[in-house]
Parts: sequence; structure tokens; C-alpha cells
Amino acid sequence: MKQHPLCTDCETALDVMKMPVPLALKQEWAAVQTRRNFLGRAGKALGWAALASLAGEGILSRVAHAGGASNAHISRAEQLGLPHFAPKAKRAIYLFMSGGPSQIDLLDYKPALAARFNQDLPESIRGGQRLTGMTSAQAHFPIAPSHWGFKRYGQSGAHVSDLLPYTAQMVDDLTIIKSTNTDAINHEPAIMLMNTGNMNAGKPCLGSWLAYGLGSMNDNLPTFVVLQTKLNDKENNQPVSSRLWSSGFLSSEFAGVGLRSGGDPVLYLSDPDGVDREVRRKMLDAVEELNRQTLAELGDPETNARISQYEMAYRMQTSVPDLVDLRKEPQSTWDLYGEQAKQPGTFAYNCLLARRMAERGVRFTQIYKRGWDTHGDVTGLLPQLCSEVDRGCYALVTDLKRRGLLDDTLVIWGGEFGRTVYSQGGLSKENYGRDHHPRCFTTWMAGGGVRSGITFGETDDFSYNVVKDPVPVRDFNATILHCLGIDHNRFTYEFQGLDQKLTGTTPASVVQGLLA
Amino acid sequence: MTVSPVKVQKDRVKPSPFARYKPLLAQLRTPTALAAIGVSVLLLLLPVLFHFDGKQHANWQQFLGRFHPLAVHLPIGFLVLLPLLEIAGRRRPALREAAGFVLTLAFLSSVGALTLGYLLAYGSGAQGATVVHHMWAGIALTIGVLLCLMARREWVAADVSRIYPLLLTVVLLLLIYTAHQGGSLTYGGNYLTQYLPAPLQRFAMSGQTKENDGSFYAKHIHPIFDANCLSCHGQSKVQGGLRLDSYAELMKGGKDGAVILAGKPTESLLLQRITLPADNKLFMPAEGHPPLSAEEIGWIRTWIAQGASPAAASMPGITFAETPKDPPITPVGDYSSLMAEIHQMQSAQGAKLMTVSSKPSDGLVLHTIDVASSFDEAQLKQFEKFAPYIVEVELGHTAVSDACFDTLAKFQNLRAIHLEATAVTGAGISKLAALPHLVYLNLSNTKLTKEAAAQLATMKNLQHVYLFDTPARPPAPVPVIAEPRLATGDKKE
Repeated sequence: MKQHPLCTDCETALDVMKMPVPLALKQEWAAVQTRRNFLGRAGKALGWAALASLAGEGILSRVAHAGGASNAHISRAEQLGLPHFAPKAKRAIYLFMSGGPSQIDLLDYKPALAARFNQDLPESIRGGQRLTGMTSAQAHFPIAPSHWGFKRYGQSGAHVSDLLPYTAQMVDDLTIIKSTNTDAINHEPAIMLMNTGNMNAGKPCLGSWLAYGLGSMNDNLPTFVVLQTKLNDKENNQPVSSRLWSSGFLSSEFAGVGLRSGGDPVLYLSDPDGVDREVRRKMLDAVEELNRQTLAELGDPETNARISQYEMAYRMQTSVPDLVDLRKEPQSTWDLYGEQAKQPGTFAYNCLLARRMAERGVRFTQIYKRGWDTHGDVTGLLPQLCSEVDRGCYALVTDLKRRGLLDDTLVIWGGEFGRTVYSQGGLSKENYGRDHHPRCFTTWMAGGGVRSGITFGETDDFSYNVVKDPVPVRDFNATILHCLGIDHNRFTYEFQGLDQKLTGTTPASVVQGLLA
Repeated sequence: MTVSPVKVQKDRVKPSPFARYKPLLAQLRTPTALAAIGVSVLLLLLPVLFHFDGKQHANWQQFLGRFHPLAVHLPIGFLVLLPLLEIAGRRRPALREAAGFVLTLAFLSSVGALTLGYLLAYGSGAQGATVVHHMWAGIALTIGVLLCLMARREWVAADVSRIYPLLLTVVLLLLIYTAHQGGSLTYGGNYLTQYLPAPLQRFAMSGQTKENDGSFYAKHIHPIFDANCLSCHGQSKVQGGLRLDSYAELMKGGKDGAVILAGKPTESLLLQRITLPADNKLFMPAEGHPPLSAEEIGWIRTWIAQGASPAAASMPGITFAETPKDPPITPVGDYSSLMAEIHQMQSAQGAKLMTVSSKPSDGLVLHTIDVASSFDEAQLKQFEKFAPYIVEVELGHTAVSDACFDTLAKFQNLRAIHLEATAVTGAGISKLAALPHLVYLNLSNTKLTKEAAAQLATMKNLQHVYLFDTPARPPAPVPVIAEPRLATGDKKE
């Protein structure tokens, strides 16, 4: 009787490599085989935990093998065929306003609300939407018009709140998007969605995707840098965590490198007493040799990541002190950024660092500013927050522009959602609170690839629903990738059986109306 | 089909050229013929009896009239079918027999459609050249079909007379003309040509001159009317006595007086009518045409508020992206064969030649930031071999000096040069004029002299020149901006 080719009950062992199956499957099979051998040698102590942690890495090890020592000098971007087309922007700076800035008080002017002070939000506008636990029990949803006046600025005539006098000066350089909207109503899922395209943790963030896909322009600095702004005592702070700049299923060498907001920007970067640079070099060479042996034996791509991170740290010993040495900045810099920028950890200081990193070829810089979660005391908190942020944003865009860097740098400003038109808690003429609002919020972009001096999208008279040109998060991210020369649909990474991508599985599209 | 006695006559009598038409003339005296002549005369007299006076008439007329666009398709269908039946009837006589029936139906439905059409135009008070053309064409067409009906009898009998095929051809041509006029009334005159491929469009539009002097009206207001209103308020059809096809006509207004009151948008009838609730009887555009967008209405409102000028070039608060576009990227040659050398260069030099994109024709970018402090002209020279493929050089913060211009002038495909924070003073910068594609030059934070900057001004290709913080352009003082007070007592304006 003829033996069925897949029958395992045969005497001679089957050779998968000779079977008529796709090459990719064979390679995956080979990877699994080596892992079995490895587990066999290492004994049962490693157990199922190790298996589980490695199970998803089959593809990674394949990439590691493919990009092995022989062609290490060929950049990953070239291997991946990136950028897909000539990009308008080479790098990006993301000013992340964590907590959800109030669009109604800053950029989404709603003059008709003044006449509706303290009236209930019409049910037809809310449309039965589920609210957060913080306001769902409220008997009334009293409309809180903005406490601040708005004026029109620039050629484009965009309305800007009196809270942002500096931003108002640069509206002609901005692409203001009033119709950004998200699916999440609470901070953690919303901020994950904004950063990684998915509400659940574990996916790579925008910066990691860019670091992976486009690679570095400067080997002495990280490709993706995260700067956190120091807190002020008044803020109602939502935490931001390293999940937001995690590389997810991508190799951890693509994770964002955080620079500390005070003291040494990178801890333990400077050599300890009695260790000079030569000794450090010798030590690193020895460690690398050991790591290479481990890599050869186990083939774990994370070992590669470790090697490259040691090397990066070594190079950063000279590049980072140079980056943060502001003594050579001319007076015109301080005139523009203000005296605040001399204090490490302030938003203005971080903006100045972002400009210096743009000059030094850092691919992606993300600055986090927390505290926008104004559930109450809007009139107390917003002026404080705006005075911290407004001038830095203006200075950064203006500085990039005058130095000729705005042509190929994309600057992005935005939070994870907006805030409600109705007051959370009591409403008075003097003060009010605003809850989370996912259905519309205002963001802006400036620089390489986007159309400047326009306002995109419209919201209704309550700044509650988008009435024209909605920009969901996935389209927002697709547009950012487009500016950097990447087709979001073709920029994928196979993981857990899915061609993962930043914009997720729901079809996303590049917002053509935003493009230059 | 009955065989006409005419055939017998024709066979026997030796025809003189004139006598050939005798039977036809004889036929005209029959009661059917007389009835036909009567109908024709009636049709021709119709526009004289009920003259289009531009006023609306009885509602029942409009009600019935609005079935005209539906009803016309019946005679169109019959008439298009007719020649097919006649031709196919050569082989299959049954079809030819059916053709006679179809022709009769075509005539009856033509009369019906004509009547409904007349009711529509008369009842709604339509006016204008296209309406009149459409009407006369419709009348001529109906009479043509009637003549066909009469001529066909003889043709069927003898199959030699050319009168019927000739008449039928004329009728079909008339049909095309009439249908096109009707279509123009419904969809607007430029319906067919609007999305014509550009080369064809130039050909089709050659006779037309568009009113565009660069004013806001010509560029943004008139096109709105053109696309949405002219099918009823244009030269071809003038509802309510209002025409919007030119600035003069627009300001003249319609039978209810002026529709635009300069400076008073809320009192302007035109704006009132387009901003009514869509279910209002007076809402414009009427008859189910799509309403204007909020953006378009905003433009019209601002334009009226600013004085409804035909010449004003811009409106405050309304901008359109009209920044000069960079010239399209010129493809460079394929460097793929040099890839090995490029990678080798990188490991030897530290400076990187990175691909602009996965398309080789997009070229290469030279990055030097890793080795900036030691990168000078000598190193730059080593990249000359790749010069045809390099579209951008990033030499910012490097050790290059004015001597680099000699080398750079050989990089013929350069589009962008970064020289910020270098020691260049601009001596010899005119050599860059030899680079045909150069659009971007960054010299900020250098020692660039005023003389060199003047030379740059003569290079027409350069669109993005940055001279910030140079002797040629010292930093301008930053405008002082008053920050709002931080106290919570800020009063609302």
C-alpha cells in the first residue's frame, strides 16, 4: 500500500525540506527545529516559559539569519525596500500633549456656545453616547462656553484662543486638523491607540516603526528619542509609561531611548572614576565577544539588540554631552525660546533639544507634556499649561523654519482625545471642568509633506461631532507615514500569523487633503 | 402589410423626373395626409399661441410637465430601435412589419412627450436660448416622425424610394440634437466636457473663452454658479428672470429684484435662498440638485460681505494652497549596479550614501553627520564617482570650506545642498549656478557674505535659500508677544 506523504507512522523519517511546500514554511520549520534542539540541550529547567517567550520569535530569528554578518553593512531600510517613494520629510518631531487638551478652549472656536451657557447639551448631539464613569451619573450636562476669547490670525485667518498667543503667530505654517477622532474614551487605551495604532499594549509605537523601517541617519545617537517634560505642582497628571515608546514585537533596539529631564540625560553614561575610555572600550569588546558566542549558540535576536545597545551607549558617551551642551547657542536662540529653555526638563528646553537632534539626524523625537487632563479647574490649569507649552511650540517651528529644517521635518502636535463641551461637575461663570471626549479633537502638523496654512475638517456647533472630513487615528498615522515616504499598507511585519502594521486591520487611508 | 396601388401605377407609367413625385402629391390629398398636415401646423403654431413669457403658470401644468424628462425616453427608444428593425428586416420580414408599428408608436409618444415638455417650459416660466432650441427641435422632430410615417408606406411597397431612409436619417440626427439640448438643460452645458481628458478638453473648448482675470470672483465664486446654477439660471435657460453666467447679469438680479446686496450678505436674496432649509419650497438649487457645500456658501457670504467686488483678488480669512510647487523630481540613472561599491564606501568613509527611496531613479543622499568634524573637501571628492546619482548632500557642521563649490558643481543632479554651520563664506558660490536642478540651499549659521548672497539672488532655480544667522542676514529680532496673565481672573473679551 502506498504511503501517504503526511503519514507520521512511517519507518523513514520525513524530510520536510524535500516536501513540495513553500520555502517560507520550510524556513519556519527549520527555525522550530533548532529551537527544539536548543531546548533539548538546555534541559527541562527552561521549561514552557522559555518556549512561550520564543514561540513568537520564529520570524525574527529568520530575519536575523538573513541579515547575518555577511551583509551587515546593507541597511535594513534597503532590505525592506524603504522608503517606498521619495519622502517629503526625513524626520519627525511629535509634541505629545498627554491627558487630552481641550480643543474648545484652544483651537476649535465655537462662538454660538456663549448664548447657550448652562443649557443642557441637546440629546440629539450626544446621541446616546456612553460617557466615562466620571460624568455618566450627572443629571445635567450644562454647556460650558470657553472662558477665553478667540481672534483670527495670519493669512489663513485661523481662530486661536487668547491662551495661545505664540501659536497664533504661526498659524500660516500649521495644518490644523479639527476633525481628529479616536475610538477610546479613557487615557490608557486612547494614548496607546494614538502611539501604536492599537488600544492594547504590546504593539510597536510610531517611533519604533520608523526606527525599524527607515533606520538611523546618525550612528552616534539613537534613532528614536523620547523626552519627558518635568511636572509642575498644579497638574492633574496621568502617568505616561515606557509602553508608549516600546518596540512591541519588533526587536528592542528600536524602542525609544528616553533622555532624563534632570541631571545626567542618560544615567551611568559617564565613565566612573578610575575607568578611562580605553578601559571601557576593552571591556565592551570583551562583552561583545561573549555576546557573539551566545548569539551563535542560541540565535536569539535579542542578543543582537543587546550588542548594538552597548555600542550605542559607548558612542553616546561623547554624542550626548555634545547634544545637551547649550553654551554655544547664540542669543537669538534664547530670544526665541525664552529663558525657560535654559532649565533642563522644561518643555521649551525639550523643544530646543528636539531642534538640535533634528540637526544631528535623529529620525524621530517624541516630547511628552503631561497634565492636560482638566476634569476641573479649567480656568486655573489651562493658562498654566499653555504658558508652558505655547512658546516652545512656536519657537520650535519658527526655529526649524529659519534654519531651513522645516522643509524636511514633520512636526506633529496633539493629545490622545479632546474634552467635552459640557461641564464636569459644577459650572460657574468663572470655572468649569471638562471630561474626556473621543469624538473630535484638534491636532496640528507643520513642515515636510503637509499643506500649511489650512484648517482641515469641521465639527458641529458644540465641538462634539465631526461634520466634515473626519480623520480617525489610523488615517492620521497613515498620513504621517506617507509624509515620511512610507505606504502604510505595505509597511508590515509578520507576527502571530498576521502582517502587522501601524494602522491596524481596519482599512485606513492617507488624508489627501492634508498633503502639500 | 397592405400593398399600395401606387406600385402598379409606378410600374406602368414611364416616369418623367417630376412624375416620380406625383404619387406622393396624390397621397397628400387623402384624409390621413390632411390630418397630418393639420397636426404639423398646430405644432408649429403652438409657440405662437402660448408664448413663453417668463412667468409661472398653473401648477397642474408643472405637475404634468415634470413627467417630460421621463416620457421623452419612450420616443427616443422607439426611434433608435427603428433603423435596427428596418435593417434587420431585410432578412427577417417579420421585423420590418414590426417597424411600422414601432414608428406609429414613436409618433404618438413624440406628440405626448412634446406636449408634456411644452407644459413644463410654459408652466415653470422657463426662458433662454437652449429652451427655445430644444422646443423647436422637438417640434421639428415630431413632424419629421410624422413624415416618416407617411413616406414609409411607399417605401415598403417599392423599396426603391429613397425618401423614407433619408427622412429617417434626418430624424435621427434631429433626435441627437434635441436630446443634447435637453441634457444641457437638465445637467448644465458643461456636463459632458467637464471631465473630458485634458488634451481633448483643450480641443473641445477652443472656441470658448473663460472669464478669469485672477480675481476672487472669477476664480472661486463664478465656478460655484457655473457648476450648480447655470443649468437653470444661465444663457440657455433663465428661470425667474435671473442669470448668473456673468458678473453683470448676477448684479442685475431677477424678477424679484437684485439678488446681491454688496456688503449685506444676510439681506442678499441669493444667500437667503441657498441657506434655507433644504425642504423649503424656495430652497436653491431647486429640483433635487445637490445643495452647495458649507465651504462654498462661506465663500459667497464673505465675498458679499466684502463688497461683492468683481476685481478683489483675495478675501480675508480665505486661503488656498497656491504656494509654488517645486518642479517635479527629475529621475537620475540607475545606481543598482554600484550598490556594492556604495556600501564599501560607507564602511571606509563613515559617511553614508543612503537611498532616497526604493526606486533607484530617486537617487542617493549623502549623510555626513556621523563623521562631520573630519569630513572635508578631500572626502567629498571621493564621492564624485557617484555624483550622477546624488540628489542631496548633507554637509552641515562639516569641515568643508569654500573649496567645496568646485566639487559640488560637478554633482549635476543635486537638488539640495546643506552647508549650515560650516566655514563657507560664499567665495565661488556662483559655480552652483551650473546645477540645473538645485532648488534648496542651506547656508544658515555660516560666514556667508552679502556679496555672495547677491549672487544667489540671480539663480532662478533656487526656491528655498536659508541665510539665517550669517553676515548676509543677521537674525531678525523676535517679535515681543504679550502672554496672558496666569491669574484665573482673566476676563472674557
